[in-house]
Amino acid sequence: MPVERDDGIRDELLQRVVTELRRPVRLDPSVDARALREIRRLGAAGRPRPAQRPLWLAGAALAASLLLAVLLRSSGDIPVSRVASTIVAPDASTRPVRLRLASPASSRVAVVGDFNDWDPGATPLRPTEEQGVWTVELQLRPGRYHYTFLIDGRRWERDPSEPRANASDFGAPMSVLTVS
Amino acid sequence: MMSDSDAALVARTLDGELEAFSILMARYRDAFGRYAFHMLGNREDAQEAMQDSFVRAYRALGDCRQPDRFGAWLLRIVVNRCLTMRGRLKREQQFGADLPDQLPAGGEAPDSFEWRDEIARALGRLRPHYREAFLLRYVEGLEYAEMSRMTGAKEAALRMRVKRAGDQLRELLRDVHAG
Repeated sequence: MPVERDDGIRDELLQRVVTELRRPVRLDPSVDARALREIRRLGAAGRPRPAQRPLWLAGAALAASLLLAVLLRSSGDIPVSRVASTIVAPDASTRPVRLRLASPASSRVAVVGDFNDWDPGATPLRPTEEQGVWTVELQLRPGRYHYTFLIDGRRWERDPSEPRANASDFGAPMSVLTVS
Repeated sequence: MMSDSDAALVARTLDGELEAFSILMARYRDAFGRYAFHMLGNREDAQEAMQDSFVRAYRALGDCRQPDRFGAWLLRIVVNRCLTMRGRLKREQQFGADLPDQLPAGGEAPDSFEWRDEIARALGRLRPHYREAFLLRYVEGLEYAEMSRMTGAKEAALRMRVKRAGDQLRELLRDVHAG
């Protein structure tokens, strides 16, 4: 794990928020009755299915995902659908933003941030023709985004070309990107 | 009957005893209803999410490989259901701000109501994945490993989401808190 720091809530404000959110919530017990009605309505089709996952199906799924991984790796490009699904599809409200990082000793670089829910697998950078330089283009709506780079899946490195985020006390240095 | 273990109730349900499943629903309705309520922002949608989750859980009960951990398995279904519903609701309406139960006793200051309302609004302004991570970690008290199994997200990503949710809640509520 790249982040080892304990993130227990220490400040009074968030403690008050959590205390409030932990209050019991009671739902209408008729929820159960409605669920039962739906189960009965479904009849045989609604009965619990026996656990079954044919081996051939699992094998086929595994083979397909391996093939996809190989194809993506060999293409050297960021699959467009992947970027579009984790950032946003380009439209009139988005701005292209190119991120760039010089990291010659790395074999893998990804960017994680508010724009991709900090998913390490969502937005890889690709190597450029310039030795040791990695890049990716995002389509972002105007706003402020905290983000950082993840090097070789285990080391955080903030973007030196953008301002440092104040809230970088979590073990991961972050930068702030403002898209206007 | 309520003292039956989850595993025993799952087994009885699989044997065709629907009453056993009713006991499981009663056991988890409010416990997980709180999560649904905070994820979706109002009681009506939380109830729909729980009803849906129960039906899905019943139909998939044969896939519950650790019946003694039925609760964790059901929560995973609820978490997924809420995220799906949240996406749909976002397109249809603003995040609501119903009040939870156990409202303050008569002596509690009126501004407590405003504080709850502000929390609900602030929570509603978080990205769904941030809200999900914050609630699972601090309200439901899950470990990151469990959250990771539940959501399919990596632990590192979940830690960052929790952190960012906390930052944003702090920012959104600072003025209210100070006032």
